[in-house]
Amino acid sequence: MLTLQTLNVNIVYIQGKNMIKIALSSFVTVANIFAMTNFEVATKSDAIMSGFEDSTSTMTMTLINANGQKRIRNMKSKSLELDGGDKSLMEFLSPADVKGTKFLNYEHAKRDDDQWLYLPALKRVKRISSKNKSGAFMGSEFSYEDVSSFNIDKYDYKNEEAKTKILNGREVYIVQRHPNYKYSGYTKQVSYVDTKTFLTAQVDYYDRKKSLLKSAYFTEYKLIDTVYRNGKIHMKNFQNSKESILIWKDESIKNGFSNKNFHKRVLKK
Amino acid sequence: MRHFLGLALLCSFSYAQFEIEGHVGIDTQAYSSKQNKHSSSITLEQQLKMKYDKDDFNSVLELYAQEDYTDINSKKDNDRSYIRVNEAYVEYEFEEDKILLGKNIRFWGALEAQNIVDVFNIQDFRNDPFTTDKIGAYNFEYAHYFEESEFSVITKLYEQNSDMATSSYIYSALNDNEAFNDNLNTEKSQYRPTVYLTYSGSLSREYSLDYAFIYQNGYDSQRYMTKEDNTYTQHAYLVNKFMTYNTMVVNSTLLKLEATYADVINDKQVSDYVHVALGVEHTLDQLNSGSEIGIIGEYYYYDTFDKDKFDDIDLGQSFQNDLFVGLRYSLNDEADTQTVGGVIFDTQYDEQTYYVEYESRINDIVKVTIDYRYIEPSDSYNTVNAKLEQHQRVGFNLSYHF
Repeated sequence: MLTLQTLNVNIVYIQGKNMIKIALSSFVTVANIFAMTNFEVATKSDAIMSGFEDSTSTMTMTLINANGQKRIRNMKSKSLELDGGDKSLMEFLSPADVKGTKFLNYEHAKRDDDQWLYLPALKRVKRISSKNKSGAFMGSEFSYEDVSSFNIDKYDYKNEEAKTKILNGREVYIVQRHPNYKYSGYTKQVSYVDTKTFLTAQVDYYDRKKSLLKSAYFTEYKLIDTVYRNGKIHMKNFQNSKESILIWKDESIKNGFSNKNFHKRVLKK
Repeated sequence: MRHFLGLALLCSFSYAQFEIEGHVGIDTQAYSSKQNKHSSSITLEQQLKMKYDKDDFNSVLELYAQEDYTDINSKKDNDRSYIRVNEAYVEYEFEEDKILLGKNIRFWGALEAQNIVDVFNIQDFRNDPFTTDKIGAYNFEYAHYFEESEFSVITKLYEQNSDMATSSYIYSALNDNEAFNDNLNTEKSQYRPTVYLTYSGSLSREYSLDYAFIYQNGYDSQRYMTKEDNTYTQHAYLVNKFMTYNTMVVNSTLLKLEATYADVINDKQVSDYVHVALGVEHTLDQLNSGSEIGIIGEYYYYDTFDKDKFDDIDLGQSFQNDLFVGLRYSLNDEADTQTVGGVIFDTQYDEQTYYVEYESRINDIVKVTIDYRYIEPSDSYNTVNAKLEQHQRVGFNLSYHF
C-alpha cells in the first residue's frame, strides 16, 4: 500500500542496455511507500530519540488537582544511555522537606529495575522494590513507568499495521503497543507518531480494566546535537480530572558521563 | 531561648555561596501522668544546614537548636534546651576514592523498627527515644570504590560525652534526686580511636542483593551505667565487633538481615553477645486509588554468652526477643501523605508497644506529624518499658521547611 500524502521518493534512473532500474535512496522512503507496522514505527520513533549517550537537565513538574489548584515540583536529572537499560539519577529540589532526596534507577528490559532511594534526613540509602511501576511519581499523574526511558523491548506490537489519521492538522501513525511487563499499570497504550518526523505527539493509556485512563501530550521537542529530546509532556487523567505538566530545562547531552556517575556513592553526595 | 535565637541569627547571615536549607518547628506531646514528671512538653526546634559544593569538593555544616518550654516557664527544668553541631565536615572525591574529615552522621542498617548495626553515632538522651536523633561523631574516612562495591576505613577520633534530661522529663532515665554524670567513663583514653572497616555493595542478578560487612575495633555503642551517690555514670568498653546488614529484593518483597557479634576485649562485667534481626517487607500495590500498603514483619534476638555478667535488662536492651508487625499506608498524593502503624511484642517479658503515626504536608512548606503510642510494660521484670510504666502519649509536630 502506498502512503500517498507522504510519498517522497527519490528515484534514480539507471539506464542499462534495455532496462531501467529504480533505486530507492533512503530507508524512510522505503518505509513510507509500504505500510509500516506498529513495531517499525516504534523503532523509528525510538531511533530519533536515541544516541544522546547521557544527559543532564532540570525538570519542573506542575501538579494540577481537579479544582485547578497547582503545586510545583523541581528536580535535577541525569541519565546514561546503555544497551541493557538506562541508568538515571533524580534529585528532588522541592518541596523543601524532601529537598536532597535522590532516586537512583538501573533499568532492565527483561527483569525488575534496581532502585534505591536516599533519604537525607536519616542519611539512609534505602533499597526499594521496583515491581510497582504503576505507582504515582511524586504524587503526579505520571507513574514511574511513564517517566522511565522508552525501550521498544518493553512492549508487544502484535505485528499489526499502523493506521494513520489527522491529529491537530498533522498526519500521525496510530501505534498500538501492549506492555510486556506483567505488573504494568496498563493493558494497552496507543501512541500517535508524526509520519514525517516520527516524534510522538500523544499517548493514550488504558488501565487494567481496559478503560482510557489518561493521555500524555508531547510538545516543545528540542533538537540537541542531532538527537530529539522531550521538552514538555502534559498528562491529563480522565478518571480523576487531575493533570500534571513536566517540563525539561537546560538539558545537555553527551557530557561524558560513565557508570561512575551512577554508582550508589552519588546518592550520599 | 538564647540557643534558639542564636541559631535564628545565624540564619539571617548572608551565605551567598552556600546552599542553605532547614526547618523551624514546634513539637508538642501530652503523656499519661507519672509522679514527679511533667505530663506534657512543648519544644521549639530549628535546624539549619549550609552546604558548599564545588566540583569534587563538598563541605557541610549542620546546626540544630531546641528550646524546651519548661526550661523557660517551669520551676522544674527539663534541661533540654541547647544548640548542637550535628555535622561539620569536608570531603573530596577522587576518581575512585574519597576522603572525609570532620563530624558527621552515618546510617547503617536495613530494618525499620530498630537498626541494631547502626552503631556509629550515639542517640541524644535528652530527646524523644522513639525518634531518631543522632549526634555527629568526629572521624576520618578513606573510601575506595569498585564497580559494584566500596571499601572504607573509618576512624572515629573521639568518644563523645552524653547529656541527659533531668528527672522531670518523661523520657529521662532518672528519678527524683538522681543525677547523671555527663563525663563518659572509658576503658582507655576517651581519644582512643575506634576503627571501622566496611565493605558494601550490590549484586544485580535475577534477585538483587545489597550487602554490607563491618568490622569494628574500639568502643562499643552498647553501654552500661553505674550508680554512686545517686549519680549515674555511663561506661564505654572496648570490643571487636562483626556486623552485617543485607537486603534482598524478591519481586515486591524485601528480605532483610541485620546481625552483630561482639567480642568484649577486657571488660569484666560485660559478656560477649550476639544480636540478630530478620525482616520482611511486602508491598501491596496496584490499588485502585494509586495508594500503596506495605506490610512489615521483623524479629529481633539478643543474647549474652556469659550469664554471670550483665544481662539484657542490665544493659537496657529493649529489642532482645521481640516481634514487630507493622503497616505502612501511602496515599501517593501531592502531600506525600502516609500513615504508619505497628505493634512490638516482647515475647520474653510480655510487653507490647502500639503506635500509629500520620504525616502529611500543607501547602508544600509545612509538614505535619501526629502520633500516638501506648506501652504495656512487663509486670515481672524491670525492663526499660517497666521503668516508664504503663504509658500513653499523643504527639503533634508542625514544621516549616525552607
